[in-house]
Amino acid sequence: MTAISRPATRRRVNLAAGGFSLPAVVLVAGLLYLPFLYTVYLSFTSYNGLGTPAWTAWDNYRTIFHDPDLATAARNTLLWVVGTVTVPVGLGLLLAVSTYGRRFGTWLRLPFLLPYAVSGVGVGVVWGFILQTGGAFGQALDFAGLPGKDTGWLLDAPVNTIAMIAAASWQSVGVNALLFVVGLQSIPREPLEAARLDGATGFRLFRHITWPLLRPITTVVVGLSIVGSLKTFDIVWVMTQGGPGTSSETFAVSMYKTTFVAGDYGVGSALAVALTVLTLVVSISYLRRQLSGARAV
Amino acid sequence: MRSLRAVPLALLGLVWLAPIYLLVVNASTPATEYDSRTVWKPHGFALFTNIGDAWRKADLGHSVLSTVTYSVVSPLLAVLVGAAVGFAIVALRLRHGFFWFAVLFAGSVFPLQMLLVPLFVGYADTSLYDTRTGMLLVYTAISVPFAAFVMRNFFTGVSYSLYEAAVIDGAAPPRIFAQIYLPLARSALAAIVILQATFVWNDLLLGLTLSQSDDVRPIMPALTSLQSAYGGSALPTVLAGALLVSLPTVALFLATQRFFVRGLALGQF
Repeated sequence: MTAISRPATRRRVNLAAGGFSLPAVVLVAGLLYLPFLYTVYLSFTSYNGLGTPAWTAWDNYRTIFHDPDLATAARNTLLWVVGTVTVPVGLGLLLAVSTYGRRFGTWLRLPFLLPYAVSGVGVGVVWGFILQTGGAFGQALDFAGLPGKDTGWLLDAPVNTIAMIAAASWQSVGVNALLFVVGLQSIPREPLEAARLDGATGFRLFRHITWPLLRPITTVVVGLSIVGSLKTFDIVWVMTQGGPGTSSETFAVSMYKTTFVAGDYGVGSALAVALTVLTLVVSISYLRRQLSGARAV
Repeated sequence: MRSLRAVPLALLGLVWLAPIYLLVVNASTPATEYDSRTVWKPHGFALFTNIGDAWRKADLGHSVLSTVTYSVVSPLLAVLVGAAVGFAIVALRLRHGFFWFAVLFAGSVFPLQMLLVPLFVGYADTSLYDTRTGMLLVYTAISVPFAAFVMRNFFTGVSYSLYEAAVIDGAAPPRIFAQIYLPLARSALAAIVILQATFVWNDLLLGLTLSQSDDVRPIMPALTSLQSAYGGSALPTVLAGALLVSLPTVALFLATQRFFVRGLALGQF
């Protein structure tokens, strides 16, 4: 019998294993799981932070389904998802493909990468300043002889949401490009060279060889973008606080405002649960489609 | 010919740098000379005065100091806690280890919104609300799932015979952990700390929800309230504040790009 398998030792090791796991389990159970469950419970109650929550079954969910402001939030969140999946992902891919393997490629990518390290709040402050009515962007349009000098970029829906998606894209194109570059690095040389020998170049080479081989990393980038955009909060909170009125709210902003501005914890919790369910459903169905597609290829 | 194709890319790169140019130029404009109609032109160099104003008058200084504490201490604690549970699962063969691993990792799947109300209510009840301890605690807990995920995967790649040899040499688990496993994992530990420190530094939502005083409030919520309280002629101060709080993460990111990408690809899916 080795020292490791002796029963007395085994018992001591089990004890140690428990001790080593305890802090992680306590922290995660206490500060993540317990609050999670409590939010689910609160979503079925009426509660304003005082006294005790009163059970109201599905009332909060009925409320959020019939609230016109939440229809706005749903529309905006959808815009965010679509905008984020197309612009930063598409531009990131373009940037990666056109700089990969090229001299000074890293330097060409650097300007796009810098904004990624700026926080959502920082991006919001800078772009809020740029997109002020008659601000830097308006002046640039005017200088180029284009209309739009006095457009209220952050004042009218849906332009305000689109303007903020542009700001978010400014931040995230670089990191998407970087992830695609990592994907390109992992593509084996042989199929590319074989295709080149067969005379495939440029777009055809990309369309038929590179793009299919990039699929795993595309799945990751698109998946991250969907999940991230569903939770959009920081940039909107800084640039418009969801306003004017509720015109640029996303689900995450509505959740925060309902809870901490209006003080309606029950409905706020129901919104949080709805957002979670939405995130899970969307990401699981996306991943399942991607994975089954990969098997079919 | 090939180098000509770089021209549009370089031009697009310049467009991408324009917001940063505007940030730097207008954060440097003396507050008295700021004119919203001429933001593209430099107006002198008062960057340090403006940063000083943001630091003192707008009280960002306190927030910066607290946020430095949060984004150093919490990731370090989280990485220790995560490494410990990874060690327990892989080396000590914790019973139902994979189950506990899955439970811990699933803790990072749901959106932060699920935690806000209970944390706010619970913190108010236990007088953790608006305390540095409370902020450290929540940032640590939030960083644990990712740390546990990466460390468990890292330790899986370490040969078990290393553990057996240490046991035969008479070392107890705490010593094996501290003197063999932790030093082995230095690069993974560093990657986690860098990623989580950036996350904590950039956090808005938890800070907004769980703190309010200047001493406790992290930097990002402090910057947003600076932005809504000031405006107009004080805009250079706000922009100087934004520049100030962005510098650490930009520097860290540029210095450690590799870790970032690996962590991103590793952690989120």
